[in-house]
Amino acid sequence: MLTIYHWEPNANSGKPILAAYEKGLDFESRYVDLLGFEQHSPEYLKINPTGTIPAMVHDGVLVAESTAMMEYIDGAFEGPALRPSDPFERWRMRWWCRFLDQFVGPSVSMLGWSFFVGPAVRQRDPEELKARIERIPLKERRIAWSKAIYGTFTQEELAESARRIAFGVGHLETALSERPWLAGRTYSLADMAGFNMLAGLPVMQAQVANDEKAPHFMEWLRKIHERPALQKSLTLGRTELMRRYLHLAR
Amino acid sequence: MLELYHWEPNGSWLKPLIALHEKELPFRSRYIDVLSFEHLAPGFLNASMETRLNQEGEGPILVHEGRQITESLFMIEYLEDAFPQRPLRPADALGHCRILAWARFINEVFMPGANTLGCRKYLAPQLAGRDRAALKPLLDRISMKLLRDGWETALTNSYSDDLLADSRRKVALGVGRIEDALASSDRLVGSAFSLADIDAFAICNALPALTPDIVNPQATPRLLEWIERIRARPAVRAALATSRSGKPEQAFVPGPEHARWG
Repeated sequence: MLTIYHWEPNANSGKPILAAYEKGLDFESRYVDLLGFEQHSPEYLKINPTGTIPAMVHDGVLVAESTAMMEYIDGAFEGPALRPSDPFERWRMRWWCRFLDQFVGPSVSMLGWSFFVGPAVRQRDPEELKARIERIPLKERRIAWSKAIYGTFTQEELAESARRIAFGVGHLETALSERPWLAGRTYSLADMAGFNMLAGLPVMQAQVANDEKAPHFMEWLRKIHERPALQKSLTLGRTELMRRYLHLAR
Repeated sequence: MLELYHWEPNGSWLKPLIALHEKELPFRSRYIDVLSFEHLAPGFLNASMETRLNQEGEGPILVHEGRQITESLFMIEYLEDAFPQRPLRPADALGHCRILAWARFINEVFMPGANTLGCRKYLAPQLAGRDRAALKPLLDRISMKLLRDGWETALTNSYSDDLLADSRRKVALGVGRIEDALASSDRLVGSAFSLADIDAFAICNALPALTPDIVNPQATPRLLEWIERIRARPAVRAALATSRSGKPEQAFVPGPEHARWG
């Protein structure tokens, strides 16, 4: 029995969902309402004590960290291979996963939280919001929520995030102009992770993510968007975030 | 033929040296003197995009069949994938996934903390008095701004109190997690020595000297025993013996950045 606890099929939550559908798996989907702070509720903390989404439980065992979950899905189940068999391409898949997780992804996330998550919850009762922040287990997440809710991002950090996104998209464009997929000849976990982190950029950062400046990057997003597994993962979405994907339809 | 470009056996530089010796793989050692910046000189390797943009800061480069492999944890994963003999990774998916989950914490939280403290304590004094203007053309060759900034901070010894306090918090957090994990097993993942032990040991080996108030016999007896057991392994002795300074645990250079978000 495989259960995935997730918010919108986007960013980190989208990674194990897409990998599972690409693998041809049926799993139990448990939507955790991030904007309702369900991920910090006592019920959810029993499942994942760090209070982060997504989480995955397979036969009673918790599997944490979205990138590691994707490798687990490929390693533990029968189905199409989601990692290249060539060791160098497999290495390059992991390299891109880290570049996305550590460099580009957090910048995209910061802008997303600044423009979407923060405004979506900001109007609620201030006392309630304060209490919600206080019960977050990880210090880093407390700071993130506090910045999103009170809108205390500095212009410098938002500008640095935009710079990193432009730098990252530029290098993805170069890589994808040399080969069809990030790791090499085959579609892999790096592409699934990349799509989930970056698919909103043609809307959020249209000045860098467009057909003129980054044609290979845009084609790569569209190629992944039309895959049946990705279309299936989008059916799990509930918010207006999902509207960003409409732009990728051919 | 495997060729490893490496500096003093500490931190990220230490991991492939241990893995190569554990797996008994012959390799050509290319020692780089990082503090003379020879790796930034024109003509040193024609760096691939993945070498230029790697996220661990200064670190080893493995060249195999003409291709460059960077990022020390993924480098030792590569050795597992390309050379399955004498495995350092559990065969089951859950064991491997646990190594990767540890690795994210170790490389993105624990390592930035330890590395900042190490650079502050050992690197900055060594760089004091260097001619920054003369170094600038070399440092300008670095693609990642965050790595250029890392060198600039070391050259000017401008570590903020907030950064040092946060670094100490991260080291204590990592040390606590490892000490806890060693309560139920003498390995971090599964019952055999694995990539997770190598990944964590490469950082922990410097901590008894770097942060004795956090790592000491009263506070962390299990961690210290684990360090001693790993130091006694022939492959680890061989890796540490590549040191030219005789003090590998004091060898720090700018590494991965502290997470900016989340």
